[in-house]
Amino acid sequence: MTEVSMNGRALQTPAATLAELLQQQGYEAQAAMACAINRQFVPRAQWPSCALHPGDRIDVIAPVTGG
Amino acid sequence: MTHWTLAGTPITSRLLLGTAHYPSPQVLADAVQASDTQVLTVGLRRLQPEHGGGNAFWQRVRALGCHVLPNTAGCHDAQEAITLAQMARELFDTPWIKLEVIGDDYTLQPDPFGTLEAARVLVREGFQVLAYTTDDLVLAQRLHEAGCAAVMPWAAPIGTGRGPQNPYALQTLRARLPDAVLIVDAGLGRPSHAALVMEMGFDAVLLNTAVAQAGDPVRMARAFAQAVDAGRLAFEATPMGERQTAQASTPTLGMPFWHQA
Repeated sequence: MTEVSMNGRALQTPAATLAELLQQQGYEAQAAMACAINRQFVPRAQWPSCALHPGDRIDVIAPVTGG
Repeated sequence: MTHWTLAGTPITSRLLLGTAHYPSPQVLADAVQASDTQVLTVGLRRLQPEHGGGNAFWQRVRALGCHVLPNTAGCHDAQEAITLAQMARELFDTPWIKLEVIGDDYTLQPDPFGTLEAARVLVREGFQVLAYTTDDLVLAQRLHEAGCAAVMPWAAPIGTGRGPQNPYALQTLRARLPDAVLIVDAGLGRPSHAALVMEMGFDAVLLNTAVAQAGDPVRMARAFAQAVDAGRLAFEATPMGERQTAQASTPTLGMPFWHQA
């Protein structure tokens, strides 16, 4: 199990990659979303190969209204 | 209507519109139509899986057929803004980014140092950067020199609706940066505010709260569109110079009732 923080919430996960984590957390694979780890952008194409490490801080974002 | 060029794209409307704070998605759609805008700003926020993705909002925006301008609202340093811009580019499939790096949470005044730092990086990475800034001349010059597609000074703090607080500074920006695309980005509350800055020669205005929070957002969107067009037309027509003294409009020659004594 790896301890990470996802959108500000700490969690323990058996996921080895970002793609696995997103799936386990219930994100829809085709959803309009983008990801960053430790404030660095991770392109969608790299999600399956992006290994998770203890302490990683993951952000998942989506479009919202804005000015 | 003649077109102008924003970030390499020909556009006719000179009104850019935000998508926040409308009473409903339908009112937003109606306001967009009434405004004739071709550019809509959008934001990015954390997504929880139970919310099913941002697809619903994104699909509604796409259906409006406008260019999308994602923002980095809420970022407080250059790295945050750079990362959010990179995420936005993938998500919206656009190199356009409205760069906001906030320096003060009370006034939402942009951080000049972080804004310039992020702008330089993003321009190098191929972004079309539309930089939100104050009316500081030197910062605007640096942002323009850095290659920003547009420099966007505030008229007043975001959401205040107070209108141009320092018209002299805005006029100076226009005069000193004749070749830059300058868009007044924040603080406009009434159509007359928009007309005023357009008469100064600004290329466009960006609005959100003034339309979304009006009693009738759809009619207000139309009012702003007409004010922006009127202001631009007036700028192109070159307003008369001011005079210190009165000058009669009606000819004095041939005035009746006058007789030589």
